[in-house]
Amino acid sequence: MRFSPLFLGWGVLVLGMTAMAEYNGWSLARINQVENVPKTVRDNPGAYRSTYGYYNRYIGGK
Amino acid sequence: MSQPSASCPSCGAPVVFRWSGSVQTVCAFCKSILVRTNLDLTKVGAVADLPPDSSPIQIGTEGVVDNKAFAVLGRILYEYEFGGWNEWHVVYNNGASGWLSDAQLEYDVSWQVQPPPPASAFPHNPQREQQFAWGGRVYQVTSVTRAHYMGVEGELPFQYWDKAEVVFADLRTCDEQFGTIDYTEDPPLLFLGRAVGFDDLRLKNVREFEGWRR
Amino acid sequence: MSSPAVTPPVVKAKALHCANCGGPVELRGFGHTLSVVCPQCHAVLDVSTPLVQILQRAQEAQERVHPKIPLGTRGQIENVAWEVIGFQVRQIVVDDVPYSWDEYLLFNPYYGFRYLSEYDGHWNFIRTLPLVPESVAGARPALRLRGVTYKHFQHSNATTTFVLGEFPWRAHRGETAAVDDFIAPPRMLSGERTDGEVVWSLGEYWTGGQIWKAFQLPGRPNPAVGVYANQPSPHHGRAGAMWRLSLWMLAALAAMMFYFTVSARREQVYAERHTFSTGTGGEPSLVTPVFELKGRPSNVELQIRTDLDNNWAYFNLALINQDTGRAWDFGREVSYYHGNDGGESWTEGGQSDSVSIPAIPPGHYYLRIEPEMDSKQASSMSYDVSIRRDVPTYTFFLIAAVLLMIPPIVSTMRVGAFETARWRESDYAPSSGGGE
Repeated sequence: MRFSPLFLGWGVLVLGMTAMAEYNGWSLARINQVENVPKTVRDNPGAYRSTYGYYNRYIGGK
Repeated sequence: MSQPSASCPSCGAPVVFRWSGSVQTVCAFCKSILVRTNLDLTKVGAVADLPPDSSPIQIGTEGVVDNKAFAVLGRILYEYEFGGWNEWHVVYNNGASGWLSDAQLEYDVSWQVQPPPPASAFPHNPQREQQFAWGGRVYQVTSVTRAHYMGVEGELPFQYWDKAEVVFADLRTCDEQFGTIDYTEDPPLLFLGRAVGFDDLRLKNVREFEGWRR
Repeated sequence: MSSPAVTPPVVKAKALHCANCGGPVELRGFGHTLSVVCPQCHAVLDVSTPLVQILQRAQEAQERVHPKIPLGTRGQIENVAWEVIGFQVRQIVVDDVPYSWDEYLLFNPYYGFRYLSEYDGHWNFIRTLPLVPESVAGARPALRLRGVTYKHFQHSNATTTFVLGEFPWRAHRGETAAVDDFIAPPRMLSGERTDGEVVWSLGEYWTGGQIWKAFQLPGRPNPAVGVYANQPSPHHGRAGAMWRLSLWMLAALAAMMFYFTVSARREQVYAERHTFSTGTGGEPSLVTPVFELKGRPSNVELQIRTDLDNNWAYFNLALINQDTGRAWDFGREVSYYHGNDGGESWTEGGQSDSVSIPAIPPGHYYLRIEPEMDSKQASSMSYDVSIRRDVPTYTFFLIAAVLLMIPPIVSTMRVGAFETARWRESDYAPSSGGGE
């Protein structure tokens, strides 16, 4: 049974990437990382300003 | 093989028959066609110059078919519209007489079917790709050839010379069985055998060709 | 012995003078030659009798063809030496288009004759067969020979348009034969019918490289164009091998999926129902209590189930690490509409949403939720939020399965394309007619 070493390499790559994705818990969703969220947000959730999450009806301005 | 010797009635040269069943031979020196009866040899004709040699087989060539050794004793040359071929008369070491056909270096061995089949067994007007059944096999006619006699050489099991045009139907099967229906006579004669390769014949004493090694 | 005790002399090649121009003509066919073309004036001579006769006058100079293997060249095939002694060009006409190919006559004084045919760089080594093949019943004509089935490829009437060299028959321009070709790549079984005779031959596909090597020709062979009737497929067996390998890999993928399904924590860390409405004033955002995410860095599945009915809601979400201050910020829209359009009911969207938040390190987290709904009308909803730690993402396995099947699919397509190209030249091309 002749097999293509190229296909074998591709298969190993696909399987490896899948294993990594599953093990590390990757996601296809668009999630943005934000740093330094202050601890005060727990007491005052309204103070948190999400720069990314707003629905696109939000047009500029403060 | 018996080797009674005699003298050619035409030129006096020695004539030897290598096979007891030979009816006709050709004097190698004067090319007279000699027919043997119980008593003597009679000249019945002469052979004109034969066409240039094309076959590696010659009188005296030896070979093997089905583990039986044979020697080439004679031949009949035929010609037809698209070429010519040789029918070599061979005799096996058990005394049986047969034929080795050489048509453009395609070889077939065959033996005459005895007793001869009745006239009703044969198609009257053979056509290409017609079926012919005999002996549990079905053959197909692969060629219908109008041929005429070109010459004879050596010993033959029957009288044959200077014949008028004759029709042959070649028969073949899917497994290399071979046959020929010879419409020279009435009823026609049937020869059956098979195709053989040059190497399968293990020929010895073949003709040499300038510039070619076997 | 009934013959003189002298061995017959070695048969020599003959030479004669052309009856048309008087030039020298050499015969290499040792008595088999019936016709020969004078190399000087190209008249076809009948040499079957000692009297050399002109069979056909010379062809126009501009139509003369030069054989790719010169006459007299010897080559070694199957351990036998063969000499090229004859050459002809034959032609068929399909849909008013003429197609020509070259034929070379090979000769060995013991083994007989063979043929080479060449078309567009595709070569065939051909020998005649002392047999008739068996017919095979089926939708298309087919023959069986030595256990192999040959499919009918083409029926044509071949005419000789040019001759050079010697032939064991009276070869001349204008000679015709009805030809049927049957293929079982790399072999081709051909039947030639003339008046009163049918001859079957077996051809074996040879590349130009193999021919050049066998005859030790200088230079390089002309490249092969297109796909020839009995050209062996370079993809033979490959598609099958690819699918077999693909099956093994899909099995490995299935095993991986089983492993991750079984070993995932799938630990629920939060589940709570909330309500939201646009009417009430006050702060729309809320935060959940802190929960702990354990184990190695893995994903977090967030599921929201609403009771929306013909409405939409947008959730601004942030998963925030209490200790490090890092947050994963995103938004999810949920909309559900349904109706009945003149008897046909339809739905659009869904009441629930699920998202996987990637690679979250272990630690203490809480979720910040800020829902939004259509502010132009009074809307309200209640929604269940549930958070699970380490849940397998089956989408990745689906993507991997598709990726693993792409190479064998491509391979099968290539095989199909090659065979389509092959059969395009036959009598059975999908479009009208065919050619070769």
